[in-house]
Amino acid sequence: MSAQSRREIWIAATVALVLLGVMPALNAWVPESSFFFISNFTINVWGKYLAYGILAISVDLLWGYTGLLSLGQALFFSLGGYMLGMHLMLMIGKLGQYKSDLPDFLVFLGHTYLPAFWRPFYSLTFAAVMVFLLPMTISAVFGLLAFRSRIKGVYFSILTQALTYGASLMFFRNDMLMGGNNGFTDFKFMLGSDLRSAATQRVLYIFTGIVLLGVYFGCRWLTRTKFGLVQRAIRDSETRVLFSGYSAVQYKLFVFVISAAIAAVGGALYVAQVGIINPSEMTPDKSLEAVVWVAVGGRGTLVGPIVGAVLVNALKSWATHAIPDLWLILLGSLFLVVVLFLPKGIISIPSVLLDFYKRRIKRPEPAEPTPVTTSSAL
Amino acid sequence: MKMVNQSAKALLALTGMVFTHTAIAADTVKVGVLHSLSGTMAISETSLRDVLLYTFDEINAKGGVMGKKIEPVVVDGASNWPLFAEKAKELLEKDKCSVVFGCWTSVSRKSVLPVFEKNNGLLFYPVQYEGEEESKNVFYTAEAVNQQATPAVDYMLDKKKEKFYLIGSDYVYPQTTNLVLLEYLLSKGVPLENIGGGFKKDGSGKIISAGKYTPFGHTDYQQIVAEIKQFTAGGKACVINTLNGDTNVPFFKEYAAAGLTAETCPVVSFSISEDEFRALPAKQLVGQLGCWTYFQTVKSDANKAFISGFQKWLKDTKVDGVKKEGRVTCSPMVLSYDGVYLWKQAVEKAGSFDVDKVRTALQSGLSFDGPGGKVTTQKNMHLTKNVFIGETKADGQFKILKEYKDVFGEPWLKGTFKAK
Amino acid sequence: MRRLLVFLGFLCTVALPGLRAETPAEVVAKAVALEDKTDEQIALIKSLAPSPELLSLLTLWKEGGIFLVDLPDKSKLPVLLEEAKDADGKQAALLLQSGKPYADADGKPLRLLASDLSAAETDSELRSAMKSILDLAGLAAPDAKSRLRAIEIVGMEQDLAKLPALKERTSSELDAEVKHALLEAIALTELKSAEPETVVAACRALGELGSIRSQDALRLLTKESGPQVKAAVEALQKIERHLVNVNFWGTLFRGLSLGSVLLVAALGLAVTFGLMGVINMAHGEMIAVGAYTTYVVQCVFGPGLELSPFGLHIALPSLKATGWLYDCYFVVAIPLAFITAALAGILLERTVIRFLYRRPLESLLATWGVSLVVQQLFRLTFGANNVQVASPSWLSGNWTIHDVGIGWNRLFVIGFAAVIVVGIFQLLARTPLGLLMRAVMQNRAMAACMGVRTERVNLLTFGLGSGLAGLAGAFLSQIGNVGPSLGQSYIVDAFMTVVVGGVGSIFGTIFSALGIGMLDQTLQQVLGNPVLGKILVLAGIILFLQWRPAGLFVTRSRSLEN
Repeated sequence: MSAQSRREIWIAATVALVLLGVMPALNAWVPESSFFFISNFTINVWGKYLAYGILAISVDLLWGYTGLLSLGQALFFSLGGYMLGMHLMLMIGKLGQYKSDLPDFLVFLGHTYLPAFWRPFYSLTFAAVMVFLLPMTISAVFGLLAFRSRIKGVYFSILTQALTYGASLMFFRNDMLMGGNNGFTDFKFMLGSDLRSAATQRVLYIFTGIVLLGVYFGCRWLTRTKFGLVQRAIRDSETRVLFSGYSAVQYKLFVFVISAAIAAVGGALYVAQVGIINPSEMTPDKSLEAVVWVAVGGRGTLVGPIVGAVLVNALKSWATHAIPDLWLILLGSLFLVVVLFLPKGIISIPSVLLDFYKRRIKRPEPAEPTPVTTSSAL
Repeated sequence: MKMVNQSAKALLALTGMVFTHTAIAADTVKVGVLHSLSGTMAISETSLRDVLLYTFDEINAKGGVMGKKIEPVVVDGASNWPLFAEKAKELLEKDKCSVVFGCWTSVSRKSVLPVFEKNNGLLFYPVQYEGEEESKNVFYTAEAVNQQATPAVDYMLDKKKEKFYLIGSDYVYPQTTNLVLLEYLLSKGVPLENIGGGFKKDGSGKIISAGKYTPFGHTDYQQIVAEIKQFTAGGKACVINTLNGDTNVPFFKEYAAAGLTAETCPVVSFSISEDEFRALPAKQLVGQLGCWTYFQTVKSDANKAFISGFQKWLKDTKVDGVKKEGRVTCSPMVLSYDGVYLWKQAVEKAGSFDVDKVRTALQSGLSFDGPGGKVTTQKNMHLTKNVFIGETKADGQFKILKEYKDVFGEPWLKGTFKAK
Repeated sequence: MRRLLVFLGFLCTVALPGLRAETPAEVVAKAVALEDKTDEQIALIKSLAPSPELLSLLTLWKEGGIFLVDLPDKSKLPVLLEEAKDADGKQAALLLQSGKPYADADGKPLRLLASDLSAAETDSELRSAMKSILDLAGLAAPDAKSRLRAIEIVGMEQDLAKLPALKERTSSELDAEVKHALLEAIALTELKSAEPETVVAACRALGELGSIRSQDALRLLTKESGPQVKAAVEALQKIERHLVNVNFWGTLFRGLSLGSVLLVAALGLAVTFGLMGVINMAHGEMIAVGAYTTYVVQCVFGPGLELSPFGLHIALPSLKATGWLYDCYFVVAIPLAFITAALAGILLERTVIRFLYRRPLESLLATWGVSLVVQQLFRLTFGANNVQVASPSWLSGNWTIHDVGIGWNRLFVIGFAAVIVVGIFQLLARTPLGLLMRAVMQNRAMAACMGVRTERVNLLTFGLGSGLAGLAGAFLSQIGNVGPSLGQSYIVDAFMTVVVGGVGSIFGTIFSALGIGMLDQTLQQVLGNPVLGKILVLAGIILFLQWRPAGLFVTRSRSLEN
């Protein structure tokens, strides 16, 4: 293991320790009056950020590493959330507004019995399997069709956008029996423990952190194998990869399905902590927002997306409170600046500054080649 | 890999950020305002923020609540429902607000409901809604279905209308309202084939959805208007409209272009108040009907004082993002205003800001003479109030045609009307 | 105001002094002064025999042309205002009951300010009473359109007492459409007849006429007994067949018009995306720029506009135009919308897009950022509310041909789209600029080598695309919302249209826009559900692109990676 690699692991471990050890500990054992106390609110919000981090990695795996800008990640994220949400809805039992076994929204619409496709979701195992299965199936079918007919570049983005848009329209319909515009909310229990209690929230938070860590190391491993190399080759020039005798379709399909699964896990964890899922999470705009996190953090790295997700969302939490009118302008401009001037995101700031310093102060180096980006050159 | 180092530091710095608590000054009471100031719902909700800030200023100028000045904490739900829940948590857990005024859409209310129940907070909800809900942590100043939809249908039946076409946006409020109306119309002897828009039945043949539904942001109403035109061709028909705010514009423009008018086939709308009206082509809408518990044209001293006070406040205010020109008052605004005063009364009666005590006071039947007439709180956390049927005029105001006095707010209506 | 003059003329001839019955003007004045007592008002106006004078009075009242002056004794005095305004905006007033000038005790004529007075109001009950009077008189109206409406309404009342009046008209009526309506109204009224033979004949007539509005009445008949049941059933079947026809042609027209809307919205994108390869997610906001321009122009023509963005205060002057001049605002707004949006586009190109020509994916992201910023800027400038854009009178109306409604605004968009398409083709094929554009789009480097100033051509092309978006905005303001998120509702559809048509082919965009419009409307008609249709269209598009990834019309190129 190289020294650099070792250092990276050290840093990851420190951050993980702070986020997964220190913060929950301060939340659980420090008295509320203390300066070091971390509120349940903070834990909960950070849990959301970390779930977003998982989504960001899935975007980056596709975009930063394979050159596929998918605007469908919000769809897979929400589908994961919906699958777990169905189980959680059934777990509310008779504690809803109507004191009925059926989820509230079904009673609302005058249903008297549970539709057949809802029934298996009484089992958490089934729901957990579906969290993976449904998004992976959809991505596999869609990916196979798209990649086989060699749809790439912006066409892929626009098609995934259409897919997401169509799906959100579908989920908005009350006839879909998935809660319509309101979606699912008011969850009470998971595995018998109260979802609203601080202890459960803490456990979920730690669990999300561990999953994020796992996804991070999994992707780190994947991108450093030969597979990862081909992946990046596809990003830089798909034609050359094809000429070298690789079947780009299979590689792309594999990555697409894997990132759908990653996004779905993120979605499931998000729903368990935030307690709401509805179709507005599924719109193409949400996908684009996730792309913003990755772009801001730094694409083509695995740390970047996580940093971006946390940073942009923290900024959002702050800005929607402090300067609500200017929030969208801030987000939009941030994005513009990053795309135009910092193509590698904020985590490249130190190295950019260092380069600048080296060039200016020490001796002029030959100009850096323009950063390699996506393949299509329309 | 210095980047990693940097980002780790950034993370830590952010963690530090949320440590800071703000001290609560002793002579103020924090009150949350939770509305969308950006995103699709900003259209309607910003007005409620404005009227709330006005009400707080008015109360503070008269000495505040129990000697304490109201300190508003305004947050933006950004038309994003999970964000609503997050902001609600923030208001209750971090800012420790004594009461929160907010939400517009059903989904935002449903999203924050668990947060309020868990933290035992108190939310005042001001916008007409579908009912079928009664939480001890929400006070519904809003119109229940029997304070809006059923009086409007009564009025149409009075006017000898025999056919009813139901159209709405596809979400909970229209779906539920239309199901209640379906039961109501059947109980009044209107045959099923005279109710237009289509029905959906479940496996057992029970109707689970009545009326035509379009998604938010729908732009093309050609087909639907053509259908309405055929349905209502025989006369004696009306349209019951629960379309959400801005989809009304393409709908009414198409309606007028097809040659349908208020005289041949009136439309009763439940989601168009004076405020939404500002964006509608008023001349094409003259004579269409609305039903609310307040209109700006209500003739009373309380209303006169409210309107002039609010306009003066608009002129003087320094709050960012408040639009000063061409402002009107409407029912959700007045119900927000009433809500603040009812809360003030309840606090003063209870002698405490404690939510449980305030609730008990609220449930004891407080009355307030608001701009729309007297409102009285009920045990079920709803309001008894006056209901008005109005007809739109070319200047964007409503001419009041009929008034129903002191209508009791009843959230549970489904299944209460029996077909003849 | 012409009506006012006609009416005044009447007063001069009719209102002779001396002992006589009350003139219609006096009765109406009495009724107006009663204000909210609707029932008494109705009784009063119904007591009058229909006369041209009464008609002009009632029309004036209905349209808010009668004003009320508050008298010291709390009663109200109905007056009319003359058209001419003096420097203070005051107008001379005439007493409604006599037509004499409104004067003070000394006989000095008073001038009044319209905004100080309240217009005499009417409510729907009163108006429908007025209408039934107006309608009966309207049967003989000189212009065919009002005659038609009057006949339709009288027919729907099914009042046997009005049958003679209707029948009387049949012999003298020449207009085919009105005659059709007249026959329908007579048959409809005869359904109420006590003689079964008349009813059966009426049923048959209604069936022949394919009368949609008689369906309800016929259905009621089927519940009775006697020979009329069979006749009614047969008539209903005939009408049903007629309806199938109506729906077919209606759907065709609606598909064409929706297709044209899509086309107008997508044409700008066909230029920026199709020809230049720039993914402009802010295209929707360019549409909104056009729509807001229309709004501003309308306000300048009308009441003026005050805006207060970022603490600044901007007051735009008002032309206070009315009537046909006001209706002209749209004609002025169209070119202005093009220019404003084109300028906005040029600004966008200079500041953002020119750095991203080689990075299409990045241009997608950057322009999305721009679209967020611009949307919020709209909110801060014009408010978060949608703004109101009223259609000029020449765009609000419709023709009905064999029960198929054809809206003027819809017809306008079809023509509008056609004109733009022809214009673009002319520009690209016939002008030197078009030649340069095509050259740069085909091979930027080669064109540059040949001495073409590619930067400038890029700028102009992008400006053209954005300007076209502005035109779309100007039009869309006539059929939908004008608000900060206007563009968002069209952007996905616009991209789909261009991609399906084949990027780079304007022909393709035309075909795909019309195709998608038709498909959407047909599915809506068949499924009876607006959303399902849209979802199916989206699914269809996704599948279609698997089959033809490059769209309908493939632009061939030798380059490997396009």
